[in-house]
Amino acid sequence: MTELDSWTTESRSHPPATANLAEILERVLDKGIVIAGDIKIDLLDIELLTIRLRLFISSVETAKKAGIDWWETDPALSSRAAHDALYEENKQLRERIEALEGEDSQDADSIPRAGARRELRRR
Amino acid sequence: MNSAPHPSPTASPSPVAPAPTQAPAPAPVDGAGSWATYVFAVCRSDHPGSLSAAFGHPGGGPLRLLKVGSLRAVVQDVPAAEFSETALRERLGDAAELERCARAHHGAVTAAAAGGPTVPMPLATLYLGDERVRAAVGANRERFRLALDRIAGRAEWAVKVHLTQAGTSARSAAPGTGETAAPGRGPGPHVSGRDYLDRLRSRQHLREQHRESALAAAEQVDTAVRRLAVATVSRRPHGPEVTGKDRTQIMNTAYLIAEDRSEELTATIGRLRASPEFGGVEIDVSGPWAPYSFTDGGELAGHP
Repeated sequence: MTELDSWTTESRSHPPATANLAEILERVLDKGIVIAGDIKIDLLDIELLTIRLRLFISSVETAKKAGIDWWETDPALSSRAAHDALYEENKQLRERIEALEGEDSQDADSIPRAGARRELRRR
Repeated sequence: MNSAPHPSPTASPSPVAPAPTQAPAPAPVDGAGSWATYVFAVCRSDHPGSLSAAFGHPGGGPLRLLKVGSLRAVVQDVPAAEFSETALRERLGDAAELERCARAHHGAVTAAAAGGPTVPMPLATLYLGDERVRAAVGANRERFRLALDRIAGRAEWAVKVHLTQAGTSARSAAPGTGETAAPGRGPGPHVSGRDYLDRLRSRQHLREQHRESALAAAEQVDTAVRRLAVATVSRRPHGPEVTGKDRTQIMNTAYLIAEDRSEELTATIGRLRASPEFGGVEIDVSGPWAPYSFTDGGELAGHP
């Protein structure tokens, strides 16, 4: 039904995974019952991380303003993204068909496909 | 609102009931291709255990409930190579990767919390195998039981109070002040230096006044919400990196609130927002969160 369905097994609405990153971090980094793990990063590391984070969060906010929101569009992180991914693929296929119908095959290379775009940028 | 778990909308696998059998065989502890056990949370044995396969760290097995006496640990088999100390330090030092990990962790904790009282573990709580988890959780079983009792039927809410720039300037730009601030110009011909300084001073004064009243507002928020809460934890307010330049966070507090009082919370916040002394003050509320901040207590609020 809605994109929230798979996030909340019921709509008692624990915040969806798209909750404010700073809020998530301040909780998952230093809260919860701490018991000694076999593999762990020590607390000092976590402190340093949080400091680095404060810098990082600003870049996330900037990215958000610029419309870059991979955490909301990554299928692994959001079911809405999975939905969007289908939509996107569909759109790209349509574009590609249109292009193939209209142009010769040489131009088909310029059709924006994620992979192709990455290739171009790398050059 | 509705309490039955929804099946996933489309072709994705239906929520997997306790699915231990699908886990990759947690094989030899050391060496390439081995698995570590990642612990997200601990809950009670009556937890329904319907944890969707959609949660957990990418590349790992499905979430499963590991029996530890009368407790259940919410665990996932994860590739040991990606969760070694060195690998973790490197990965968590990378902003994008850290965010992925944090969100994966939070997603699993939240999913588990939807099924009943759940004590979240901090990010990256890892063991060499299930036996080690049983030993560690078992050794702390009293702490877990206490925490589970404390949080049962309750959830965490975050309330943040901000002073907005709009509020500040709206009040300080009282008629007659303000103009002299034109950049690159000294006091105009009709304005003495003394007048100019007076205006600066009064503007400063207004700003301070506004800050004072915002602090008073924050206190009012805290008092009102505390009345509904069983425990509170005050956190350091976020800086401008998080809030943006045009608002200043003056309160960042977490409250542990009974689930059946969440509507009262909404009503209380709504009432506060509407009251006249809250002009230029913003109240952000988020929740219900899994009770991250209250697993080891928290300051008791006055009213149970």
